[in-house]
Amino acid sequence: MNAIVEIIGFAREPGWLPWAVQYFFLIGVSTAAFFLSLPGLVWRHPQWRGLSRRALLAALVCGLTAPVALLADLHQPGRFLNFYLYPNAGSWMAWGSFFIPVYLGGLSLFAWLCLRPQFAELGRTDRRLAALYRTLAYGGHDNRSAIMLAAIVAALGAFLVLLYTGMEVMAVRARSLWDSPLLPLVMAVSAFTGGIGMTAFFETLAGSRQAAATLKRWLARTQWASLLLLAAWLVSGLSGAADGAADALAAMRASSGWLLTAAWLLGSTLLTLWLARRPGDALLALALLALHGSWLIRWIVFIGGQSLPKIGATRASYALTLTPDSLLGIVGMIGLCLTLYIVLTSLIPWDEKAPAAGDAS
Amino acid sequence: MSAHPDLSRRAFLGALPAVTAGLAVPAQAAGDADPHWSMLVDTRRCIGCQACTMACAIENASPEGSFRTVVATYAVTAGGKTGLSLLPRLCNHCEEPPCVPVCPVGATFKRKDGVVLVDGDRCVGCAYCVQACPYDARFINHVTGKADKCTFCSHRVEAGLLPACVETCVGGARIFGDLNDAKSQISRRLKAAEGQVRVLKPEAGTVPRVFYIGLDEHLDGRVDGDSAADMMWRPRHAGA
Repeated sequence: MNAIVEIIGFAREPGWLPWAVQYFFLIGVSTAAFFLSLPGLVWRHPQWRGLSRRALLAALVCGLTAPVALLADLHQPGRFLNFYLYPNAGSWMAWGSFFIPVYLGGLSLFAWLCLRPQFAELGRTDRRLAALYRTLAYGGHDNRSAIMLAAIVAALGAFLVLLYTGMEVMAVRARSLWDSPLLPLVMAVSAFTGGIGMTAFFETLAGSRQAAATLKRWLARTQWASLLLLAAWLVSGLSGAADGAADALAAMRASSGWLLTAAWLLGSTLLTLWLARRPGDALLALALLALHGSWLIRWIVFIGGQSLPKIGATRASYALTLTPDSLLGIVGMIGLCLTLYIVLTSLIPWDEKAPAAGDAS
Repeated sequence: MSAHPDLSRRAFLGALPAVTAGLAVPAQAAGDADPHWSMLVDTRRCIGCQACTMACAIENASPEGSFRTVVATYAVTAGGKTGLSLLPRLCNHCEEPPCVPVCPVGATFKRKDGVVLVDGDRCVGCAYCVQACPYDARFINHVTGKADKCTFCSHRVEAGLLPACVETCVGGARIFGDLNDAKSQISRRLKAAEGQVRVLKPEAGTVPRVFYIGLDEHLDGRVDGDSAADMMWRPRHAGA
């Protein structure tokens, strides 16, 4: 048996930095939260009303923040124009640059249409910004047809965003951890974990527990789906049925870091599942665990996936630093989310009592 | 570009009897046909001096810590004996380059003469091509914020010169030339070594245009071994 030691080799630094993790996390959370907003705001199910409003808030906060992380990863934000000047139809990333505005445009339109009655109500008060609310209300009609149309556009955009974010990564056959047909499903399911988590978090902040049972039920389903997908990936690798998974497992072999990561992922998923199945309406710990799980999957896929050697034996290690493309970027994204949350909740009441689309029904 | 980069000094040198194994023969395109540039690496002649690594870095002003080419060096123990295996690595200028279709703005392209290049004006620095390359041949240049890679020193080849790594190779391990010219040194050497020529990661289906003679089969892809990287110098900072 040969024993090989790479004496001189080089491992490339990760090309996709924590900006990418943040983007894929936030846009995934946003799309999933948007889908959670549909039952209450489009189909007007009474038990979903409050939950869907918080889900819409989560979709807006994360959706408006996500592209900032994407632009930051381009080193010079103005370069995004080249995506539209020279699109390459063979690239999933190029398609993504068109799907993102479709989704965010649809989402913004959907949110505005849903909020118009509320803007009108606020415009009738003697608030300082009453004139602004009246302008935003634009008549204040609860136009169900328009809401439905905007929801269809946003839903199409959200579906395409979920599709491209999974396919874009899966298409990279050179990265063994990414080279799996299961990856888009893992990304989509974990996006829903995050979307439910963010909505539950906003429920907690709003002091509402009415939707706890619904959120926990759906969260438990995403955890089961995640466990099934992870098991399927593991089996495909161990059996040799999938080259990418097999190669990734071989590269991880004998790595205590990867063992710890796997244990952490499995443990936190099981803990989330256990909490989701427990009776009670406490949501905070569950919401934070769900957000953690969704983010962890992306960190493992992107940062971990790039650490595995494509060629040679040298792993590309990555450590968080206090630089804008690292820890400060992550903190900055959280800060931007917080800012948007404060602005949106300051301008618009999102509790059950606030009038909005769906009140008439 | 000139199809006859046969400068007088190099033509003179090329005409001289081969007095050393390391004599660099100039790159010449076939008469009327378009050239198809390629490289053959005879690992048996590589002494691991990293002169190519340095020549490339100086010629192309690579930023600190980033290399377009490097000689990966392995200690291979088999049958109780340990020997040194050397593997010069660079962009493989594949016939089916996976970096090209993924580029969202079409900044990466393969030229008619076989060279895979990056249009720096169009590149957005998204690093998708960096991910897609199975050979880890690409990186984001921290100075330009754009994708960077070996160009076969196209600026030199267009001026009738050899790539810097070939020019400087002490052992004559790197042979550069036109695959379309049956009389070129690379074509003759490839023909002579038929059956012994290998490429990196053949299973990737990229059809590399960097060929190897004497390549250890255990080293042609991800190497199942240990790395001494933790004991080595590494670039300290990714974002400078």
